[in-house]
Amino acid sequence: MEVIQLKEVSKEYNKATILEHVNLLVEQGDIIGIIGQSGSGKTTLLNLIAGFVAPSSGEVVYFSKIDRQPKNLNQNFSKIKKHLGFTPQRSSFYPKLSIKENLIHFGQLYGLERSMILENAKNLLQFTGLYEHRDKLAEQLSGGMQRRLDISCSLVHKPKILFLDEPMADLDPIMQEGIIQLIQEVNKQGVTVIIASHHLESVERLCSQIVVVRNRTIKNYAEVDELRKPFLKDNLVINIKAGKEKDLLITALRQLPISKIVDQGHQLVVYPEDTEGTVLGLLKIVKKEDLSFQNMDLRKPSLNEIFPFVAGNKL
Amino acid sequence: MNTLWLLTKKNLQLLLRAKSSALIVVFAPLLTILILGLSFNNSAKYGINIGVYAPVFSPDVEAFVSTLQEGEFKIVKYEANIEECIEDLKQGFVHSCISLPESLSVESNRPKEITFYVDPSRVNLVWMVEETVKNKFNLKSQQLSEELAQDMLSRLQQTKTGLAEEKATVASAKDKSSTAAGSTNAIKSGLSSVDVAPPTTTYDLTALTTFKENLAGRLTEGKSKISAARGALSDSNVSSTAKTKISSFLTQAEAELIAAEESFANNTGEGSFAAVSTLVESLNTDLTSAKAKLAAAGEKVASAGTGLDGVQTSLQETLKLLESAQNNANSMLSTLEAQKVTDATVLSSPLITKVERVAAGKTYLNYLFSGLLVLVIMFSSLLLGTTLVMMEKNSPAFLRNFFVPIQKVTFILSTYLTTLVLIVVQLAIILGIALIFLPQSYVALPLSGLILFFAASVFTFIGMLIGYVFVSEETGVLASISAGSMMLFVSGLILPLESMSASLRNVIAFNPFVIAERLIREVVIFDASIKVLWQDLLILFGYAAVLFLLILIVESVLHDRLKDRILHRHQKQP
Repeated sequence: MEVIQLKEVSKEYNKATILEHVNLLVEQGDIIGIIGQSGSGKTTLLNLIAGFVAPSSGEVVYFSKIDRQPKNLNQNFSKIKKHLGFTPQRSSFYPKLSIKENLIHFGQLYGLERSMILENAKNLLQFTGLYEHRDKLAEQLSGGMQRRLDISCSLVHKPKILFLDEPMADLDPIMQEGIIQLIQEVNKQGVTVIIASHHLESVERLCSQIVVVRNRTIKNYAEVDELRKPFLKDNLVINIKAGKEKDLLITALRQLPISKIVDQGHQLVVYPEDTEGTVLGLLKIVKKEDLSFQNMDLRKPSLNEIFPFVAGNKL
Repeated sequence: MNTLWLLTKKNLQLLLRAKSSALIVVFAPLLTILILGLSFNNSAKYGINIGVYAPVFSPDVEAFVSTLQEGEFKIVKYEANIEECIEDLKQGFVHSCISLPESLSVESNRPKEITFYVDPSRVNLVWMVEETVKNKFNLKSQQLSEELAQDMLSRLQQTKTGLAEEKATVASAKDKSSTAAGSTNAIKSGLSSVDVAPPTTTYDLTALTTFKENLAGRLTEGKSKISAARGALSDSNVSSTAKTKISSFLTQAEAELIAAEESFANNTGEGSFAAVSTLVESLNTDLTSAKAKLAAAGEKVASAGTGLDGVQTSLQETLKLLESAQNNANSMLSTLEAQKVTDATVLSSPLITKVERVAAGKTYLNYLFSGLLVLVIMFSSLLLGTTLVMMEKNSPAFLRNFFVPIQKVTFILSTYLTTLVLIVVQLAIILGIALIFLPQSYVALPLSGLILFFAASVFTFIGMLIGYVFVSEETGVLASISAGSMMLFVSGLILPLESMSASLRNVIAFNPFVIAERLIREVVIFDASIKVLWQDLLILFGYAAVLFLLILIVESVLHDRLKDRILHRHQKQP
């Protein structure tokens, strides 16, 4: 069930085209990741979808949950924005208010009943692990807690769509993990999540759909696996000991249908043209030539690896 | 040195590329100087209205009024009463009232009193008006003093001339008196030389007896003769009548002779006739002597008479001279008596100036209170307005606020209301403290509150407008302070508006600070009612309404730019 659609949307800033002829359909319950090189226009795309900026041409359409009628997002923004939650890259709350005060304040701005706000806030605080710190001033929180508070502020009114701009920026791996879990939990509650991020690992883990912005337009909009296919196939990572055996193994591998071998010292990364045939062939040679290796791992290419191909100019 | 220059160049580049900073740094001082320059670039004319009241505008009063008019002031005449002028003074239509007497000429020992009515609440203007108008009056007083002194000197000169003329007369009288005195001395001397001593001769009375005897003999002889005559008569041919008559006479003569004979006969004195003769001679000698003396005395008397004639003439002339001198003295006395002003104080200061303050009994705090109050409100409102807008604009939560279902106007009004709440708190503190010093002001509190509400609204909206226009908080605050300072500079609180050029003064009269300060002053000091103030209140309300609309427009126009900037900041800042 679609919630937002971009139709031939273009955006210009100071006579410079940032995005042109963008078409995109956001389905309810999706977690969509917008990736692209710096300056590619991914944040602009996020802002367009969120209605924060109006398109120079084209139309952003919002589908009402009640009547399912498409409505121009920008023209009806005052009515629609209560269904949206936006968490920008930087903190977007009042540092001099406590966690609880921030949540109540924004909840009240959305016109919710105080009891409902308190209930939502309590749930959110428990959900985000901020409950114990609810009376602390926001400025006193760590980076991860601030990010969680930010997301909580965006969720206090129970939006249908949550927009996150670089949610992993400046966070350490543990904090990132916490945020990933938080987003996944939010999504499980039926909230559509749209993320613009450079942090491809988290995008890869979180997002069901990836939007690749390149050359001022959406180059790809697909699932991650779908995205991988045209660029890099699965690869084998073989951990070995350096020495004579490695050279023998490389010689043996060259007899198989592989496109490339990358020697990384203790690891050989093999890109087979036929994964199954290559694995079976390799095992036969090892047995025949009495070679050995520590272990072998069949691995799919990460988003990080295919990023230069999908978002950059590498082909 | 190179590094220093490099860093300085970089700083200048950064400063000039930040548009608002450049605007403030470069243009604000220029604008300030330009406005102040235009405001105070005059020296000849004051924009001061002086109300003049006089029971009668006599020619000399008119002449003086013209002098004021020709100078720096615009004159408004009040012919009914001074109270009318004082009312206008309270309402600021005139800056000072002058109560003049019917005439400025001083004709007695009472100096003419001129009363100035000034509004002491306009502290900086009072002194200027007092000084300037007093200078005019001092000049007039000096002129009158000179005229009086000149008049007195003329009279003295006249007296001096009269006395100089009389000096000759008196000298002449003196000469004549001296001559008369000389003549009198001469007469006295002449008369003293007249011998009026009686003859001391002792006369011998025997001579008389002798004379008597001799005379008796002769008388006897006479009798003989008479007998002889009688005989002759009887022999004569004369008529009996004649004979009788002659005989009668002869008988009488004989009788007389007999009588004389008897007299002589009885005379027992020794002198007899000879003695008598001697006596007579002696008497004759005495008589001769006396005659001589009398002749000499007669000469002296004649001479004295001549001298006395001269003295009389001199005295008569002296009398005439003295009469003339007396007349002249009377004339001079009249001249001097005609000088009515004889008091040295009045001569030196014929005009007394008295200053009456139309808000009597008030303290300096009263006078300054309105200005201070509006000053505090202005800067507080401006800075709070700017700061709150800046705080909201620069707040991390600004972006989130974009997504809350709240209208822009609500955010604007919330900023306004926040400022207003803070201002009310400030006002409560200020007015609370002020009431300790100005307990009588509590009556004016409701109206003052209303005025301050309008004023605070205007200044808050100005501050908010600045907040929306400027990008950084620093430049915004600086712009607010500049705007406040500008309004303060051209408010009349520091320098009187009346010292500015007329054209700018007309514009500056609409300075909200000026309007608010005037309203508060009129309420606090003169207990003005809303009926008098409603027009100015309406102007303040108009300002607030226009500024609010302007804020809505500016906010709408700048909103997209602000969004871009906020987005940019959110994305680029580490």
